[in-house]
Order: sequence, then structure tokens, then C-alpha cells
Amino acid sequence: MKKRLRALMCGAVLLAVLQLAFSQDTHAFTERGLSKGTKGDDVIELQARLQYIGFFNGKIDGVFGYQTYWALREFQEKYGLPVDGIAGSATKKKLTGVSSYDKQFVMDNLRKGKQFTHYGGKPLSSQVKGGGSSAGSKKTQMPAKYSEDDLKLLANAVYGESRGEPYEGQVAVAAVILNRIEHPDFPNTVGGVIFQPGAFTAVSDGQIWLTPNERAKEAVIDAMNGWDPSENAIYYFNPVTATSKWIWSRPQIKKIGMHIFCD
Amino acid sequence: MFRKIMKKFVFLALFAVFSLGVYAYSVSVQNKEMQNALSIQYAKNISDASAKLQELDVAVKKTLLFNEGEGDLRAREDVWRLSSDIQQSVSSLPLDPKFSTVWMNYLSRLGKFAKEASEQAEPREFHAVMDKASKNLVSLSDEWSVATADMASGNLSMAEWQQRLNSEKASFDWNGLSTSVQQYTETVFPLTASESDSLKKKELRDIQEPAVTKEQALDRFKKLFPDVSNQVIDLTPSKPGSPYPFYHIRFADQESVGYIDITERGGHVLSFLTERPAGKGTMDVSHVRESAETFLKNAGYTDVVFEEVRENDTAFHFVYTRQEPIHKAKVLSDTIQVKVSKEDGRILGVNAAEYIRKETLDDQPMVPIDWQTFFHKKVTVQKEELVFAENQQGRQRLAYALTVTLHENGTTGTYKVLVDTETKEVLHTEKQM
Repeated sequence: MKKRLRALMCGAVLLAVLQLAFSQDTHAFTERGLSKGTKGDDVIELQARLQYIGFFNGKIDGVFGYQTYWALREFQEKYGLPVDGIAGSATKKKLTGVSSYDKQFVMDNLRKGKQFTHYGGKPLSSQVKGGGSSAGSKKTQMPAKYSEDDLKLLANAVYGESRGEPYEGQVAVAAVILNRIEHPDFPNTVGGVIFQPGAFTAVSDGQIWLTPNERAKEAVIDAMNGWDPSENAIYYFNPVTATSKWIWSRPQIKKIGMHIFCD
Repeated sequence: MFRKIMKKFVFLALFAVFSLGVYAYSVSVQNKEMQNALSIQYAKNISDASAKLQELDVAVKKTLLFNEGEGDLRAREDVWRLSSDIQQSVSSLPLDPKFSTVWMNYLSRLGKFAKEASEQAEPREFHAVMDKASKNLVSLSDEWSVATADMASGNLSMAEWQQRLNSEKASFDWNGLSTSVQQYTETVFPLTASESDSLKKKELRDIQEPAVTKEQALDRFKKLFPDVSNQVIDLTPSKPGSPYPFYHIRFADQESVGYIDITERGGHVLSFLTERPAGKGTMDVSHVRESAETFLKNAGYTDVVFEEVRENDTAFHFVYTRQEPIHKAKVLSDTIQVKVSKEDGRILGVNAAEYIRKETLDDQPMVPIDWQTFFHKKVTVQKEELVFAENQQGRQRLAYALTVTLHENGTTGTYKVLVDTETKEVLHTEKQM
């Protein structure tokens, strides 16, 4: 009886261990399919695994761009899977079976903003090249004509200029800056427009250097993606605090929160 | 005892006053040094702009020497480069805002005209424009020297300069100068085809459809977004200065707060955007896309096709382009953006401003192109499709849109290249991430 009980318990422990190992391997990814344009922790895993077996030589950043796409197609071709550049369940299962993923190593280095790779066959500790402090896993996707620096500067400007305004008003402020870049009367870069002397109060009084919140960043992303609640305005002002008489001569389009937006 | 305490107190008080005095003095010296540094920087920028203005005048005159050929090309390139340099100097100077605006505009048009002249203008027309520009630049150069003399010589502090700009009795007539520059711009450089086209959204003023009432606009909103349209806070018409009239509707329904703008003529949705607390869930992109496409179909946007998607922390941004029926080509200027929640697939935003005014498309011949000889041997063409895209002159052209790859230091670089189907001109090349 005792023997049977002991065997039963051993069997249960073995089963639990096996299940744990099995679940780490096959259910490492989330359920969702991954394709070009997606981002997140599961894309980080996809890139790390593809890199482990030599298909992906790009930077592990959690954004499913073209580099990940071509690497995945190559992997699918080599392993006789349908070549569609989409990481569905069959592709993920195969990838999990033939590669390894050190989640802690990858996530730690991403959090610390380190430059690193995740190739198999050589010690991971030797693949950390050092680097800065920006959070790599926080990468944002935006239209190709804008950069991360543009996003950062715009978010600072939006937060400094309109943090007390409704969301719509914050998107509108970002849109005005972007409208100016396309307009012949203004400089053609984000920095040029924002730092044009006297153009924005937040630059003059230093509030542009406050740390923007996620809401301001989201507002900028929407503006970069084409939303323009200002309806093509290139100026805006607060009628209570504006000192310039000239600004009142501009044709007005609409009022959002405390700001009047003008042509 | 009391005396001793008083003595100590007086000593401490004197020490504090003295320390404060030293501190105030050092801050004031620092401030003055910073003001001086800033004044020097501005004086340098003014002097740079003045020198380049003279160079620009010479470059414009040089373009009048030649009919065509290499000499003319170089002179035109100089005009473009110098006008761009002066624009940069002007944009970094604290000038009268109206003058700064019109001056930047003039320089931008002059540079652009010179750059695009070979494609746009007849030699005789080009000479006539440059002749006028040359005359304008001479008088502008004089006025500019007078306006900025004190600042350029370092005689004025920043505070004094600002005071002058804001003063109602300014020593220099900035307003008059602005008016002159504006007149020069309007007479010498009327809007080019390309600029007219970039003002596409403003062309919404030309919509010929009948006007809808406030109530009809509200009905449209309710029909498109029944989930969030129950609590309308405000419905206002656009202000009279708007380039096209529209209704602005604000709503706050349960957790969602946002707006929708609907054109007065035709009742078209310009844009809709809602903000609500973001959840943590992440739906499969295919389901979210289904949600976006169901919305587009129900809303009547039936001639659009998927172009691309970008996932961010709380939402997916989808881009759809109109598909022209003959060649099944995507019209890259007629787009709709849809923002969809990652958590539950609800539509958070729609931007259809560019879709409303459809581009005018002309058919054109399609010359077959051998991509193996067109591209370098290391380039691989991965995908080919047809699109309508704008060329430098702002005309819509049928183009081959090619996705090509190139091995770059161990990684695969991806580029999108648009090639005119008739002239083989490369309209656009963009690195893809």
C-alpha cells in the first residue's frame, strides 16, 4: 500500500515537473498571432528566439518590423511551414521547439536600456555591450517620417503647453506643430518649429522641460497618425493670457478648452 | 547677557544681509552674462542672414545670365540653398511674428521656384520671375539692414529689443515691411500646383454637396457611433475663419470623452476621437482588424483597402487607402485612419479628412520596366503593386510601388520605391522599419 502510494506521489511530482517544463516551452508566447505592425513582450520573445537560431540579426526591441518579417519568413521556409510572415500557433510551436529564450536576460537588458544580443552557442553574459538608460521595450510605432526624438520633443511641448486641456486639445496642439512643419511660413523640422523664438510659451518659460505624461505622448501619437482636431490650424492662443494683438487678427477656426485655434 | 545676544543677533543679521547681497549680485552678473551671450548669438544670426541675403541677391541675378545649361542649374541651386539657409537664420531670431511668417514664406517660395523651375516654368517666365525677385531683394535687403541695425551692432539688450517689438510706437515699421513682403509673394509667387494640392484639406471648402443641419449632423454621429453618442455635451458650428464650415460635437458618454467634426456640406466625418481609460488586454490583431473593417463597411467606406497597421500601448492604428477601380491601384493621398482599442476592439478614432476630397486621376501608359537592370544587382524586388502617388509637381501619377530589400551589414534593409509607370521617374524612396 505504502509502495503504491509512494509510486503515485512520485508519478504526480514527475507529472507536475513535466507539465511545468512543457508549459514553459509551448505556452511561452501569448495566444495571439504576431504579424507585421504588432509589438509587445511576445514580439520580444519572437525576435529573441529567431536570433538564438541565427535568423534575426536586428535589434531586439519588441516591434515587429520588416527585419523580423524577413527573418520569420526565412525560418518558415527552412522548417517547411507555410511562408506568410505571420507567427501563428504552428510557427510558434516549431520555433519554441528549436530555440531557447532567456526571458530574464532579455527583459533585464531591455529594462536597463543595454545593447545586447541573444545568439545561441555563446555565453549570453558575453553578448551585453553596455549602453544607455532608455527603456528599449517602450519603443513606439509611428509613421516613417517621424522619429523617436520627434515624439519625445513633441510630447514635451504638448505637456508644457496644454497639460490642463482636454485630450482633444492636446492632440490639436500637437497637430498645429505638425501643420507648421508642412507650411512654408515655418521651419521644416519639429525642433525648428518648437524652438522658433517666441513661438511657444512653454519654451519661453521653461515648462517644455517638464516630464510629459502618457496622455501627452498618446496625443502626439494620434496627431502623428493624422488626427487634427484643430482642422488645419497653424496658430492657437489662450484669449485670457495672450499679449500679442496680431494673433487676434488671424482667422479663427474653433475653440477647444482654453485655446482658440486659427489659420 | 541681553547685550551679548543682541550683538550676536545683529552680527547674524548683518551676515545674512551681506550673504544675500553677494548672492543677488552674482545672480545679476550671471543673468547679464547670459543676456550678453544671447544677444551675441542673435547678432551673429542677424549678421549671417544679412550676408546671405546679399549672396542670395547675387545668386538670383546670376540666374538671369543664362538661358539653360550647367551655369543656370548651379545658380538655381545656389538660390535654393541660400534661401533655405536664410530661412534657418530667420526662424531662430526673435522678430516681429507677422514679419517672420511672411518672410519665411517668401524665402520658401523663392527657393522652391528656383529648384523646380526646370520642370515647371518656361525660360521666359523664369527670367521674368527672377527679375522681379531680384528687385524685391534689393529693397528688402535695405529695409532689413535698417530694421536690425541696433541688434546686429550689439547696441541693444534682449529686453530692449523685445520691448521695441512689443511697443505700439515701434521705431521701425515692421507692419509696413510685412505688408511689402506679402505683396511681393503674392505677385511673384502665386501658389504652385504642388502647394495647391498640399492644401487638399482646405479644398473641402469646394464641396458642392448640400449643407446638412445640426440635427442631421447629430444623426450621422449617432448612426456611426451608437455606443458613445448618447451624451452630447456641445454641438457648435465652426468659427467664421475656418477654411471650410463644419460642426464640432463634443460628447462624454460613461467612460468615453471625445469629439467628432462633421462637414457642413455633405455631412462627412472629418475626424472622430475618443479617450477612455485603457485596459490591459490585448486582442489578436486579426480580430481588431475585423472590427475596423466592419466599421468601415457599415459607415459606407467600401472602396478602401488595408495599407498598414501599427500597434502601440493601448491601441492599433490602421491605415486604409482608396482603391481606384481600373488598375486596382491604391491612391496614397486618399487615406482613412482608424484607431481601435487593443482591449475590446472598439473604435476609438477615425480620421477621414483626406478621404473626403477624392484625388482626380488620369489614366496613363504603363511601360514595362526590367527591375534587374533598373536596380543594383544586390537589390531584390520582394513585392510589386500599383499606386497613384504625387510627383514633385503635385500631379497624381500611376506608379509601380516596389518593396525591395538589400543586405546591409548583416541585416536586411527594406525600402519602398515608387516608379512612374510612364516616365520611369523615381517618385519616392523610403526606408521601411
